[in-house]
Amino acid sequence: MKVQFWGVRGSFPVPGPDTNRYGGNTSCVEVRVSDDPAAPRIIIDAGTGLRKLGKEMMAERFGAGEGQAHLLVSHTHWDHIQGLPFFAPLYQKGNDLFVYAKQRDDTHLRAVFASQTDSHYFPVPFDEAQANVHLRELVEGAHFEIGPVKVSCTRLNHPWIAMAYRLDYEGKSVAYVTDTAPFRDILIEQEFIRQPPRPGDPLKPEDAEKLAQMRDGVVRLCEGVDIVIYDTQFTPEEYAQKPHWGHSCPEDAIEIAREAGARNVVLFHHAPERTDDQIDALTAYHQSRTPDLGLTSAAEGMILTAGVDLPKGGT
Amino acid sequence: MIERPVNDFEVAFWGVRGSVPAPGPEMNRYGGNTSCVELRVGGELVILDAGTGIIGLGKQLLAGEFGKGRGAARVFLSHAHWDHIQGFPFFAPIFIPGNQFVVYGPGRSPTLLENILEGQMNPHFSPLYTMKNLGAAIDVHGVEGEQAIHIGVGSQVKVTSCLNPHGATTALAYRFESGGRSLVYASDAGYGVDGPSPEARRLYANADVIIHDCTYSPEDRAARLKRGFASTEDAAKVAIEAGCKRLVMFHYDQDYADDVVDALAERTRRFLDDNGGKAIALEPAREGLRITL
Repeated sequence: MKVQFWGVRGSFPVPGPDTNRYGGNTSCVEVRVSDDPAAPRIIIDAGTGLRKLGKEMMAERFGAGEGQAHLLVSHTHWDHIQGLPFFAPLYQKGNDLFVYAKQRDDTHLRAVFASQTDSHYFPVPFDEAQANVHLRELVEGAHFEIGPVKVSCTRLNHPWIAMAYRLDYEGKSVAYVTDTAPFRDILIEQEFIRQPPRPGDPLKPEDAEKLAQMRDGVVRLCEGVDIVIYDTQFTPEEYAQKPHWGHSCPEDAIEIAREAGARNVVLFHHAPERTDDQIDALTAYHQSRTPDLGLTSAAEGMILTAGVDLPKGGT
Repeated sequence: MIERPVNDFEVAFWGVRGSVPAPGPEMNRYGGNTSCVELRVGGELVILDAGTGIIGLGKQLLAGEFGKGRGAARVFLSHAHWDHIQGFPFFAPIFIPGNQFVVYGPGRSPTLLENILEGQMNPHFSPLYTMKNLGAAIDVHGVEGEQAIHIGVGSQVKVTSCLNPHGATTALAYRFESGGRSLVYASDAGYGVDGPSPEARRLYANADVIIHDCTYSPEDRAARLKRGFASTEDAAKVAIEAGCKRLVMFHYDQDYADDVVDALAERTRRFLDDNGGKAIALEPAREGLRITL
């Protein structure tokens, strides 16, 4: 089971020399369970990184209209779907694309994706995609299978609610946990939060209970996982200013990974303003504090193998 | 750090790419951000399109009046395709109460344009939920074809526009004119076989500077006619016919790396030279390019 990173940023794409090494594309991760070209292609999130993956896929079965891909969407904020209209296999007749995302209360998924490419915004409407697009609406806690891969999911603490996913295949596993705030200061759901509470302010009991449940769900999802990819957009100082934005810090990722007994943690969904040098420094700092965990920061092009541990930190 | 315009008819480029932002080392020199051009005119700040380039501009603006909630700017949108509006929700000055923005764009009514802008901020897509959550005052105006708008101190700047064909839709081209100087911004222009419309020809005539869609090489345009973009040759023909002083290439395809744009610029220079445009200065836009009329 291999994980390849095609886009590692949060919020918006950031071209420029300061992001050349880690990459400026928004979230997109590919999981391959087999080198067999007929095996299902699994992609998590459709940020701008998806464009280059799509090009590569066209050189294989997808160019001939014989490909089958499964796209797991954490949530439909722009940085997680803006690559979809530029995903070449979508425009090749014969390909099958299964899209999984959380069911919404107000409308169906097709309407959400169709409005992304409404004629005001994009020249090609979603309904004119040549591939067969199959939408799969998920409820919290759903379990399902993609071929031989078992998929489970749980909800996260993010505006309009995001889903975390775990993939299991022949004893190897990967968890993808983004976007989410930590589960202690504020409950983030459907409502717009104008004024955030100060971290440390007391929570309403019902909110505290919901957060505790959510946290348990994430810890269970990550239990014993080989690789956990986690939203670490913020530093603790940034989080204190913006707890209601729905993002975590590396410290939160490490805490969850430890509690869940995960083997390796990958810092992901880097802040757009974070330069390559800053990510280097953050990575080194956290590696020095995690002798018990493999830890690295996601970079475009990086390939990890579940079962092959990252070097442990702390010397 | 991009140096910002200070005097009238100075221009700075913040994003020069079409369709989708294109990060990567092969794009470092021209830049991978989508369309955004800053123009100082009539003593006012004018922003042409709100692609991701506007995010960097926003950060710099915070150092001045916009950081104190005392800034004002006019934003002219060519159309609402993503690459021309996707930076707006991340444009920091819109979150600061007191700042004032007038947004012009295609649409028979302000409501129509406002709904389109709202569409990119609804809670499915954005944690902002609605434009009503932005702190700044935003005044939206629909622009239709050739009506003139007067802006600037003493209304000294005349802004005219026309609709160019752009695939299945249209995009506005704008002309800014004041004190005998003029600049045209024409992004996303997919002319038919007869070239620009009579209205567009009038809009372009004798402009000092034309910033023009150069999404494609002539070969790529021929292969992708329906997408509604101009080739570098289309842009050169526009410049020659208009008798402009300077042509700025703009809105490159997301797959054109720096050396591809270099080669296109050389080829366009030769086309101008060979077709009566020797006197026209040519510049390929890049992030950070500044020009003065």
